[in-house]
Amino acid sequence: MAKFAIIVPPLTGHINPTLSLGSELLDRGHEVGWISLDPALQDKLPAGGQLLLIRYDSSDAEKQETEAYLDIITRKSVYGIDSIKFLYEEVLVPLNRYMYAGIREQLLQFAPNVAIADHQMFAGAVAARQLNIPYATSVTAPAAIKVMQELPKVHEWEQQQIVALQKELGWPGEQSLDCSDALTLVFTSQLFFGEMALPDPFRFVGPVIANRKVAATFDWQAFQQMPQPRILVSIGTTFDHEHKRQFFAKVAEAFGDTELSVVVVSDPELFDTVPSNFMIQQRVPQLELLPQLQAVVCHGGHNTVCESLSHGLPMVVIPIAYDQSHVAGRVVRVGAGLRLNFNRFKAHHLKDAVLQVLAEDHFRNAANLIRTSFEATGGVKTAAAHLETLFTRNAPVLAAATTAAY
Amino acid sequence: MDTVTTGNQAAATAIFDLLKQFITEVIGEEFVEEMDIQPSSSFTRDLEMDSIEIVAFSEKVKAHFGEHIDFTGWLSGMDLDQLINLNLNDIINYISVCR
Repeated sequence: MAKFAIIVPPLTGHINPTLSLGSELLDRGHEVGWISLDPALQDKLPAGGQLLLIRYDSSDAEKQETEAYLDIITRKSVYGIDSIKFLYEEVLVPLNRYMYAGIREQLLQFAPNVAIADHQMFAGAVAARQLNIPYATSVTAPAAIKVMQELPKVHEWEQQQIVALQKELGWPGEQSLDCSDALTLVFTSQLFFGEMALPDPFRFVGPVIANRKVAATFDWQAFQQMPQPRILVSIGTTFDHEHKRQFFAKVAEAFGDTELSVVVVSDPELFDTVPSNFMIQQRVPQLELLPQLQAVVCHGGHNTVCESLSHGLPMVVIPIAYDQSHVAGRVVRVGAGLRLNFNRFKAHHLKDAVLQVLAEDHFRNAANLIRTSFEATGGVKTAAAHLETLFTRNAPVLAAATTAAY
Repeated sequence: MDTVTTGNQAAATAIFDLLKQFITEVIGEEFVEEMDIQPSSSFTRDLEMDSIEIVAFSEKVKAHFGEHIDFTGWLSGMDLDQLINLNLNDIINYISVCR
Protein backbone atom coordinates (compact mmCIF):
# COMPACT_ATOMS: atom_id res chain seq x y z
CA MET A 1 0.00 0.00 0.00
CA ALA A 2 1.21 3.45 -0.87
CA LYS A 3 0.31 7.06 -0.23
CA PHE A 4 -0.43 9.28 -3.18
CA ALA A 5 -0.81 13.07 -3.09
CA ILE A 6 -2.60 14.60 -6.05
CA ILE A 7 -1.87 18.30 -6.59
CA VAL A 8 -4.62 20.14 -8.47
CA PRO A 9 -5.31 23.70 -9.62
CA PRO A 10 -8.78 25.13 -8.93
CA LEU A 11 -9.97 24.27 -12.45
CA THR A 12 -12.77 21.75 -12.93
CA GLY A 13 -11.37 20.27 -16.11
CA HIS A 14 -8.08 19.54 -14.41
CA ILE A 15 -9.67 18.09 -11.27
CA ASN A 16 -12.28 15.72 -12.73
CA PRO A 17 -9.86 13.17 -14.25
CA THR A 18 -7.98 12.98 -10.93
CA LEU A 19 -11.22 12.06 -9.13
CA SER A 20 -11.53 8.94 -11.27
CA LEU A 21 -7.84 8.20 -10.94
CA GLY A 22 -7.86 8.70 -7.16
CA SER A 23 -10.96 6.55 -6.83
CA GLU A 24 -9.18 3.68 -8.60
CA LEU A 25 -6.13 4.07 -6.34
CA LEU A 26 -8.37 4.02 -3.25
CA ASP A 27 -10.09 0.85 -4.55
CA ARG A 28 -6.67 -0.74 -4.78
CA GLY A 29 -6.12 -0.07 -1.08
CA HIS A 30 -3.90 3.00 -1.33
CA GLU A 31 -4.20 6.22 0.61
CA VAL A 32 -4.99 9.25 -1.51
CA GLY A 33 -4.97 12.95 -0.65
CA TRP A 34 -5.78 15.96 -2.84
CA ILE A 35 -3.78 19.15 -2.32
CA SER A 36 -6.01 22.06 -3.33
CA LEU A 37 -6.96 25.64 -2.57
CA ASP A 38 -10.66 24.93 -2.85
CA PRO A 39 -12.61 23.77 0.26
CA ALA A 40 -15.54 22.81 -1.99
CA LEU A 41 -13.45 19.97 -3.43
CA GLN A 42 -14.30 17.95 -0.29
CA ASP A 43 -17.79 17.15 -1.58
CA LYS A 44 -16.49 15.85 -4.88
CA LEU A 45 -13.86 13.47 -3.51
CA PRO A 46 -14.46 9.72 -3.70
CA ALA A 47 -15.09 7.93 -0.38
CA GLY A 48 -11.88 7.65 1.60
CA GLY A 49 -10.16 10.47 -0.26
CA GLN A 50 -8.62 13.17 1.94
CA LEU A 51 -8.69 16.86 1.19
CA LEU A 52 -5.32 18.43 2.00
CA LEU A 53 -6.50 22.00 1.95
CA ILE A 54 -3.97 24.77 1.45
CA ARG A 55 -4.56 27.36 4.14
CA TYR A 56 -2.39 30.24 5.10
CA ASP A 57 -2.59 31.89 8.51
CA SER A 58 -4.69 34.39 6.87
CA SER A 59 -5.69 37.92 7.23
CA ASP A 60 -8.91 38.87 5.48
CA ALA A 61 -6.90 40.25 2.62
CA GLU A 62 -5.27 36.88 2.06
CA LYS A 63 -8.59 35.10 2.22
CA GLN A 64 -9.85 37.37 -0.47
CA GLU A 65 -6.78 36.58 -2.48
CA THR A 66 -7.54 32.86 -2.24
CA GLU A 67 -11.08 33.44 -3.35
CA ALA A 68 -9.84 35.56 -6.21
CA TYR A 69 -7.70 32.66 -7.39
CA LEU A 70 -10.69 30.35 -7.32
CA ASP A 71 -12.37 32.31 -10.07
CA ILE A 72 -9.44 34.13 -11.61
CA ILE A 73 -9.90 32.57 -15.00
CA THR A 74 -13.53 33.65 -15.32
CA ARG A 75 -12.84 37.34 -14.88
CA LYS A 76 -11.50 38.31 -18.22
CA SER A 77 -12.54 37.48 -21.73
CA VAL A 78 -9.58 36.50 -23.80
CA TYR A 79 -9.34 35.05 -27.24
CA GLY A 80 -6.95 33.20 -29.51
CA ILE A 81 -3.16 33.42 -29.09
CA ASP A 82 -3.70 36.35 -26.73
CA SER A 83 -5.24 33.96 -24.23
CA ILE A 84 -2.00 31.95 -23.89
CA LYS A 85 -0.20 35.05 -22.66
CA PHE A 86 -3.04 35.79 -20.26
CA LEU A 87 -3.13 32.20 -19.03
CA TYR A 88 0.54 32.19 -18.05
CA GLU A 89 1.12 35.76 -16.96
CA GLU A 90 -2.10 36.36 -15.10
CA VAL A 91 -3.24 32.90 -14.05
CA LEU A 92 -0.70 30.09 -13.93
CA VAL A 93 2.44 31.88 -12.75
CA PRO A 94 0.77 33.87 -9.92
CA LEU A 95 -1.36 30.85 -8.97
CA ASN A 96 1.67 28.56 -8.72
CA ARG A 97 3.63 31.19 -6.83
CA TYR A 98 0.74 31.56 -4.39
CA MET A 99 0.16 27.81 -3.89
CA TYR A 100 3.83 26.78 -3.59
CA ALA A 101 4.31 27.20 0.18
CA GLY A 102 1.02 25.46 0.92
CA ILE A 103 1.83 22.55 -1.40
CA ARG A 104 5.21 22.12 0.25
CA GLU A 105 3.66 22.19 3.71
CA GLN A 106 1.02 19.60 2.77
CA LEU A 107 3.61 17.32 1.15
CA LEU A 108 5.71 17.45 4.32
CA GLN A 109 2.75 16.64 6.55
CA PHE A 110 1.09 13.97 4.39
CA ALA A 111 4.45 12.46 3.38
CA PRO A 112 3.23 10.67 0.24
CA ASN A 113 5.29 7.96 -1.49
CA VAL A 114 4.37 9.48 -4.84
CA ALA A 115 3.08 12.93 -5.74
CA ILE A 116 0.94 13.45 -8.84
CA ALA A 117 1.07 17.04 -10.04
CA ASP A 118 -1.14 18.50 -12.74
CA HIS A 119 0.95 19.67 -15.70
CA GLN A 120 0.00 23.25 -14.96
CA MET A 121 0.89 22.88 -11.25
CA PHE A 122 4.63 23.22 -11.76
CA ALA A 123 4.98 24.52 -8.18
CA GLY A 124 3.90 21.01 -7.15
CA ALA A 125 6.65 19.47 -9.26
CA VAL A 126 9.23 21.86 -7.77
CA ALA A 127 8.12 21.10 -4.19
CA ALA A 128 8.19 17.33 -4.84
CA ARG A 129 11.68 17.51 -6.34
CA GLN A 130 12.94 19.58 -3.43
CA LEU A 131 11.53 17.09 -0.92
CA ASN A 132 12.81 14.10 -2.90
CA ILE A 133 9.33 12.74 -3.43
CA PRO A 134 8.98 10.88 -6.73
CA TYR A 135 6.39 12.64 -8.84
CA ALA A 136 4.26 11.86 -11.83
CA THR A 137 2.49 14.41 -13.99
CA SER A 138 -1.16 14.25 -14.99
CA VAL A 139 -1.74 15.92 -18.32
CA THR A 140 -5.41 16.73 -18.24
CA ALA A 141 -5.23 19.13 -21.19
CA PRO A 142 -3.00 17.25 -23.66
CA ALA A 143 -3.23 19.90 -26.36
CA ALA A 144 -1.22 22.14 -24.04
CA ILE A 145 1.88 19.93 -24.31
CA LYS A 146 1.65 19.64 -28.04
CA VAL A 147 4.26 21.85 -29.59
CA MET A 148 2.72 23.51 -32.58
CA GLN A 149 5.22 22.74 -35.26
CA GLU A 150 4.40 25.95 -37.09
CA LEU A 151 4.58 28.16 -34.02
CA PRO A 152 7.36 26.67 -31.88
CA LYS A 153 8.12 29.96 -30.16
CA VAL A 154 4.78 29.81 -28.40
CA HIS A 155 5.78 26.61 -26.65
CA GLU A 156 9.27 27.95 -26.01
CA TRP A 157 7.79 31.03 -24.42
CA GLU A 158 5.60 28.89 -22.15
CA GLN A 159 8.63 26.88 -21.04
CA GLN A 160 10.53 30.10 -20.27
CA GLN A 161 7.73 31.30 -18.00
CA ILE A 162 7.81 28.00 -16.11
CA VAL A 163 11.62 27.92 -15.75
CA ALA A 164 11.67 31.52 -14.49
CA LEU A 165 9.17 30.65 -11.77
CA GLN A 166 11.07 27.49 -10.82
CA LYS A 167 14.19 29.59 -10.26
CA GLU A 168 12.23 32.01 -8.15
CA LEU A 169 11.03 29.07 -6.03
CA GLY A 170 14.60 27.94 -5.57
CA TRP A 171 14.96 25.24 -8.22
CA PRO A 172 17.97 26.02 -10.42
CA GLY A 173 18.50 24.88 -13.98
CA GLU A 174 16.93 25.45 -17.37
CA GLN A 175 14.89 22.25 -17.47
CA SER A 176 11.15 22.73 -17.10
CA LEU A 177 9.69 20.30 -14.55
CA ASP A 178 6.13 20.61 -15.88
CA CYS A 179 6.18 17.07 -17.29
CA SER A 180 7.84 14.46 -15.07
CA ASP A 181 10.68 12.48 -16.63
CA ALA A 182 9.66 9.52 -14.45
CA LEU A 183 6.02 9.24 -15.52
CA THR A 184 3.73 11.60 -17.39
CA LEU A 185 0.16 10.37 -17.78
CA VAL A 186 -1.52 11.78 -20.87
CA PHE A 187 -5.28 11.51 -20.65
CA THR A 188 -6.03 10.72 -24.27
CA SER A 189 -5.00 8.22 -26.95
CA GLN A 190 -2.19 8.65 -29.47
CA LEU A 191 -4.78 8.55 -32.26
CA PHE A 192 -6.64 11.55 -30.89
CA PHE A 193 -3.48 13.36 -29.73
CA GLY A 194 -2.03 13.26 -33.23
CA GLU A 195 1.16 12.24 -34.96
CA MET A 196 3.69 13.99 -32.74
CA ALA A 197 5.92 11.46 -30.99
CA LEU A 198 6.40 11.83 -27.26
CA PRO A 199 9.41 10.63 -25.25
CA ASP A 200 9.29 7.47 -23.18
CA PRO A 201 8.01 8.71 -19.80
CA PHE A 202 4.82 9.87 -21.52
CA ARG A 203 2.05 7.27 -21.36
CA PHE A 204 -1.27 7.55 -23.13
CA VAL A 205 -3.87 6.28 -20.69
CA GLY A 206 -7.01 7.53 -22.41
CA PRO A 207 -9.51 9.85 -20.81
CA VAL A 208 -10.38 8.67 -17.29
CA ILE A 209 -14.03 9.36 -16.83
CA ALA A 210 -15.48 6.55 -14.73
CA ASN A 211 -16.33 6.72 -11.01
CA ARG A 212 -17.21 10.36 -10.76
CA LYS A 213 -19.63 11.26 -8.00
CA VAL A 214 -22.65 13.08 -9.39
CA ALA A 215 -24.17 15.73 -7.21
CA ALA A 216 -26.58 17.05 -9.80
CA THR A 217 -30.28 16.59 -9.45
CA PHE A 218 -31.79 16.01 -12.82
CA ASP A 219 -35.34 15.60 -14.00
CA TRP A 220 -34.93 12.31 -15.81
CA GLN A 221 -38.63 11.93 -16.34
CA ALA A 222 -38.84 15.19 -18.27
CA PHE A 223 -35.72 14.25 -20.21
CA GLN A 224 -37.07 10.83 -21.23
CA GLN A 225 -40.11 12.53 -22.69
CA MET A 226 -37.99 14.69 -24.95
CA PRO A 227 -38.02 13.23 -28.48
CA GLN A 228 -34.81 12.28 -30.28
CA PRO A 229 -32.50 13.51 -31.64
CA ARG A 230 -31.27 15.04 -28.43
CA ILE A 231 -28.21 17.23 -28.17
CA LEU A 232 -26.21 18.61 -25.28
CA VAL A 233 -24.83 22.14 -25.32
CA SER A 234 -22.04 22.87 -22.84
CA ILE A 235 -19.36 25.56 -22.93
CA GLY A 236 -17.65 24.73 -19.71
CA THR A 237 -16.99 26.59 -16.53
CA THR A 238 -14.38 29.14 -17.41
CA PHE A 239 -16.00 31.97 -19.32
CA ASP A 240 -17.61 35.15 -18.17
CA HIS A 241 -21.33 35.71 -18.21
CA GLU A 242 -21.43 38.21 -21.05
CA HIS A 243 -19.72 35.74 -23.40
CA LYS A 244 -22.11 33.05 -22.34
CA ARG A 245 -25.20 35.21 -22.69
CA GLN A 246 -24.37 36.07 -26.30
CA PHE A 247 -23.57 32.47 -27.04
CA PHE A 248 -26.80 31.12 -25.58
CA ALA A 249 -28.86 33.71 -27.45
CA LYS A 250 -27.52 32.17 -30.66
CA VAL A 251 -28.21 28.66 -29.37
CA ALA A 252 -31.83 29.60 -28.62
CA GLU A 253 -32.19 31.17 -32.06
CA ALA A 254 -30.64 28.14 -33.78
CA PHE A 255 -32.66 25.42 -32.09
CA GLY A 256 -35.67 27.11 -30.48
CA ASP A 257 -38.89 25.36 -31.52
CA THR A 258 -37.20 22.89 -33.86
CA GLU A 259 -37.54 19.10 -33.93
CA LEU A 260 -34.39 18.75 -31.86
CA SER A 261 -34.39 18.36 -28.10
CA VAL A 262 -31.73 20.45 -26.45
CA VAL A 263 -30.18 20.09 -23.00
CA VAL A 264 -28.09 23.13 -22.07
CA VAL A 265 -25.64 23.36 -19.19
CA SER A 266 -26.11 26.91 -17.98
CA ASP A 267 -27.47 29.20 -15.38
CA PRO A 268 -31.10 29.55 -16.62
CA GLU A 269 -30.85 33.29 -15.89
CA LEU A 270 -28.61 33.66 -18.92
CA PHE A 271 -31.58 32.91 -21.15
CA ASP A 272 -34.09 35.67 -21.80
CA THR A 273 -36.68 33.16 -22.94
CA VAL A 274 -36.55 29.40 -22.75
CA PRO A 275 -37.74 27.60 -25.91
CA SER A 276 -40.18 24.75 -25.25
CA ASN A 277 -37.81 22.08 -26.60
CA PHE A 278 -35.01 23.17 -24.23
CA MET A 279 -34.01 21.92 -20.82
CA ILE A 280 -31.61 24.25 -19.03
CA GLN A 281 -29.75 23.18 -15.94
CA GLN A 282 -26.83 24.61 -14.02
CA ARG A 283 -25.41 21.12 -13.56
CA VAL A 284 -26.19 17.92 -15.40
CA PRO A 285 -25.11 14.32 -14.78
CA GLN A 286 -23.14 14.49 -18.02
CA LEU A 287 -21.78 10.94 -17.98
CA GLU A 288 -25.23 9.42 -17.47
CA LEU A 289 -26.71 11.72 -20.06
CA LEU A 290 -24.25 11.09 -22.90
CA PRO A 291 -25.44 7.54 -23.74
CA GLN A 292 -28.90 8.97 -24.42
CA LEU A 293 -27.78 11.75 -26.74
CA GLN A 294 -27.07 11.95 -30.46
CA ALA A 295 -24.63 14.89 -30.65
CA VAL A 296 -22.79 17.45 -28.53
CA VAL A 297 -22.08 21.16 -28.99
CA CYS A 298 -19.17 22.35 -26.87
CA HIS A 299 -16.26 24.79 -26.55
CA GLY A 300 -13.50 22.25 -27.02
CA GLY A 301 -12.62 21.62 -23.40
CA HIS A 302 -10.62 18.43 -23.39
CA ASN A 303 -12.87 16.59 -20.93
CA THR A 304 -16.18 17.24 -22.61
CA VAL A 305 -14.69 16.38 -26.00
CA CYS A 306 -13.20 13.12 -24.71
CA GLU A 307 -16.35 12.17 -22.85
CA SER A 308 -18.39 12.73 -25.99
CA LEU A 309 -15.97 10.74 -28.12
CA SER A 310 -15.99 7.95 -25.52
CA HIS A 311 -19.67 7.61 -26.31
CA GLY A 312 -19.10 7.80 -30.05
CA LEU A 313 -20.95 11.10 -30.33
CA PRO A 314 -20.26 13.53 -33.19
CA MET A 315 -19.65 17.13 -32.20
CA VAL A 316 -19.79 20.75 -33.19
CA VAL A 317 -16.89 22.48 -31.46
CA ILE A 318 -16.75 26.23 -30.93
CA PRO A 319 -13.40 27.01 -29.32
CA ILE A 320 -12.99 30.19 -27.32
CA ALA A 321 -9.50 30.33 -25.86
CA TYR A 322 -6.46 28.52 -24.44
CA ASP A 323 -5.87 25.10 -25.97
CA GLN A 324 -9.43 24.78 -27.24
CA SER A 325 -8.61 25.84 -30.78
CA HIS A 326 -6.21 22.95 -30.87
CA VAL A 327 -8.65 20.43 -29.41
CA ALA A 328 -11.25 21.59 -31.95
CA GLY A 329 -8.65 21.17 -34.68
CA ARG A 330 -8.15 17.55 -33.63
CA VAL A 331 -11.90 16.83 -33.65
CA VAL A 332 -12.08 18.11 -37.23
CA ARG A 333 -8.88 16.35 -38.25
CA VAL A 334 -10.09 12.94 -37.08
CA GLY A 335 -13.45 13.61 -38.76
CA ALA A 336 -15.58 13.42 -35.62
CA GLY A 337 -17.14 16.84 -36.00
CA LEU A 338 -17.18 20.38 -37.30
CA ARG A 339 -15.81 23.58 -35.82
CA LEU A 340 -17.18 27.10 -35.79
CA ASN A 341 -15.46 30.35 -34.86
CA PHE A 342 -16.85 31.60 -31.55
CA ASN A 343 -16.87 35.26 -32.50
CA ARG A 344 -18.11 34.86 -36.04
CA PHE A 345 -20.71 32.12 -36.10
CA LYS A 346 -24.37 32.92 -36.51
CA ALA A 347 -27.36 30.91 -35.34
CA HIS A 348 -27.94 29.37 -38.76
CA HIS A 349 -24.33 28.14 -38.99
CA LEU A 350 -24.77 26.34 -35.70
CA LYS A 351 -28.05 24.82 -36.81
CA ASP A 352 -26.63 23.66 -40.15
CA ALA A 353 -23.53 22.21 -38.52
CA VAL A 354 -25.51 20.24 -35.94
CA LEU A 355 -27.92 18.92 -38.56
CA GLN A 356 -24.97 17.89 -40.70
CA VAL A 357 -23.16 15.92 -37.96
CA LEU A 358 -26.45 14.23 -37.10
CA ALA A 359 -27.30 13.36 -40.71
CA GLU A 360 -23.95 12.18 -42.04
CA ASP A 361 -22.84 8.84 -40.58
CA HIS A 362 -19.14 9.40 -41.21
CA PHE A 363 -18.93 11.81 -38.25
CA ARG A 364 -20.34 9.19 -35.90
CA ASN A 365 -18.11 6.50 -37.39
CA ALA A 366 -15.02 8.65 -36.84
CA ALA A 367 -16.07 9.33 -33.25
CA ASN A 368 -16.44 5.58 -32.74
CA LEU A 369 -12.91 4.99 -34.05
CA ILE A 370 -11.59 7.35 -31.37
CA ARG A 371 -13.78 5.63 -28.80
CA THR A 372 -12.09 2.32 -29.69
CA SER A 373 -8.64 3.92 -29.40
CA PHE A 374 -9.56 5.24 -25.94
CA GLU A 375 -10.72 1.79 -24.83
CA ALA A 376 -7.46 0.25 -26.06
CA THR A 377 -5.40 2.45 -23.72
CA GLY A 378 -6.80 0.68 -20.66
CA GLY A 379 -7.89 3.94 -19.02
CA VAL A 380 -7.87 4.44 -15.30
CA LYS A 381 -6.62 0.93 -14.49
CA THR A 382 -3.58 1.37 -16.70
CA ALA A 383 -2.92 4.79 -15.16
CA ALA A 384 -3.11 3.35 -11.64
CA ALA A 385 -0.81 0.47 -12.62
CA HIS A 386 1.79 2.94 -13.96
CA LEU A 387 1.63 4.84 -10.67
CA GLU A 388 2.06 1.64 -8.67
CA THR A 389 5.09 0.79 -10.79
CA LEU A 390 6.54 4.22 -10.08
CA PHE A 391 6.00 3.56 -6.36
CA THR A 392 7.62 0.10 -6.42
CA ARG A 393 10.50 1.29 -8.55
CA ASN A 394 11.25 3.99 -5.97
CA ALA A 395 10.39 1.97 -2.85
CA PRO A 396 13.86 0.36 -2.37
CA VAL A 397 15.47 3.75 -2.89
CA LEU A 398 13.23 5.29 -0.27
CA ALA A 399 13.87 2.43 2.17
CA ALA A 400 17.62 2.81 1.65
CA ALA A 401 17.38 6.55 2.16
CA THR A 402 15.46 6.06 5.40
CA THR A 403 17.96 3.47 6.61
CA ALA A 404 20.87 5.69 5.72
CA ALA A 405 19.34 8.48 7.75
CA TYR A 406 19.56 6.44 10.95
CA MET B 1 10.04 46.13 -40.92
CA ASP B 2 10.67 48.17 -44.06
CA THR B 3 7.78 50.12 -45.36
CA VAL B 4 6.58 49.46 -48.84
CA THR B 5 7.75 52.19 -51.18
CA THR B 6 5.38 53.65 -53.75
CA GLY B 7 7.28 52.06 -56.60
CA ASN B 8 6.29 48.68 -55.29
CA GLN B 9 2.76 49.77 -54.53
CA ALA B 10 1.21 47.72 -57.30
CA ALA B 11 3.11 44.63 -56.22
CA ALA B 12 2.10 45.23 -52.61
CA THR B 13 -1.55 45.58 -53.59
CA ALA B 14 -1.35 42.34 -55.53
CA ILE B 15 0.09 40.54 -52.50
CA PHE B 16 -2.57 42.07 -50.27
CA ASP B 17 -5.33 40.81 -52.57
CA LEU B 18 -3.78 37.38 -52.56
CA LEU B 19 -3.52 37.29 -48.75
CA LYS B 20 -7.09 38.43 -48.50
CA GLN B 21 -8.09 35.55 -50.75
CA PHE B 22 -6.25 33.09 -48.48
CA ILE B 23 -8.00 34.52 -45.43
CA THR B 24 -11.31 34.12 -47.23
CA GLU B 25 -10.52 30.50 -47.98
CA VAL B 26 -9.66 29.85 -44.34
CA ILE B 27 -12.55 31.56 -42.60
CA GLY B 28 -15.27 31.46 -45.26
CA GLU B 29 -16.55 33.95 -47.79
CA GLU B 30 -19.71 34.98 -46.02
CA PHE B 31 -17.79 36.04 -42.92
CA VAL B 32 -15.25 38.02 -44.90
CA GLU B 33 -18.00 40.04 -46.54
CA GLU B 34 -18.79 41.56 -43.17
CA MET B 35 -15.18 42.20 -42.25
CA ASP B 36 -13.06 45.19 -43.05
CA ILE B 37 -9.76 43.61 -43.98
CA GLN B 38 -6.99 46.21 -44.24
CA PRO B 39 -3.23 45.89 -44.66
CA SER B 40 -3.02 47.04 -41.04
CA SER B 41 -5.43 44.36 -39.77
CA SER B 42 -3.88 42.10 -37.15
CA PHE B 43 -4.76 38.44 -37.34
CA THR B 44 -5.52 37.88 -33.68
CA ARG B 45 -7.21 41.08 -32.52
CA ASP B 46 -8.74 42.56 -35.66
CA LEU B 47 -9.58 39.46 -37.65
CA GLU B 48 -10.16 37.31 -34.55
CA MET B 49 -8.36 34.37 -36.12
CA ASP B 50 -7.28 31.71 -33.66
CA SER B 51 -4.01 29.79 -33.79
CA ILE B 52 -5.35 26.96 -35.94
CA GLU B 53 -6.70 29.45 -38.48
CA ILE B 54 -3.40 31.33 -38.56
CA VAL B 55 -1.56 28.08 -39.22
CA ALA B 56 -4.02 27.14 -41.97
CA PHE B 57 -3.47 30.58 -43.52
CA SER B 58 0.30 30.22 -43.35
CA GLU B 59 0.07 26.86 -45.12
CA LYS B 60 -1.65 28.59 -48.02
CA VAL B 61 1.04 31.25 -48.20
CA LYS B 62 3.69 28.56 -48.13
CA ALA B 63 1.94 26.53 -50.83
CA HIS B 64 1.68 29.57 -53.08
CA PHE B 65 5.17 31.04 -52.76
CA GLY B 66 6.91 27.73 -52.26
CA GLU B 67 10.69 27.84 -52.31
CA HIS B 68 10.87 31.55 -53.13
CA ILE B 69 10.41 32.47 -49.51
CA ASP B 70 11.00 30.70 -46.22
CA PHE B 71 7.65 31.67 -44.80
CA THR B 72 7.52 28.87 -42.24
CA GLY B 73 11.00 29.71 -40.97
CA TRP B 74 10.09 33.38 -40.72
CA LEU B 75 6.86 32.65 -38.85
CA SER B 76 8.43 30.10 -36.53
CA GLY B 77 10.99 32.73 -35.49
CA MET B 78 8.25 34.89 -34.03
CA ASP B 79 7.78 35.16 -30.34
CA LEU B 80 4.40 35.38 -28.67
CA ASP B 81 4.07 39.17 -28.79
CA GLN B 82 5.07 39.32 -32.44
CA LEU B 83 2.49 36.65 -33.25
CA ILE B 84 -0.22 38.45 -31.33
CA ASN B 85 0.54 41.68 -33.20
CA LEU B 86 1.17 40.11 -36.61
CA ASN B 87 -0.70 41.99 -39.33
CA LEU B 88 -1.03 41.72 -43.11
CA ASN B 89 1.51 44.48 -43.73
CA ASP B 90 4.20 42.45 -41.96
CA ILE B 91 3.66 39.62 -44.40
CA ILE B 92 3.37 41.90 -47.45
CA ASN B 93 6.69 43.52 -46.51
CA TYR B 94 8.34 40.20 -45.88
CA ILE B 95 7.25 38.81 -49.22
CA SER B 96 8.26 42.04 -51.04
CA VAL B 97 11.73 41.98 -49.51
CA CYS B 98 12.22 38.34 -50.43
CA ARG B 99 11.46 38.88 -54.07
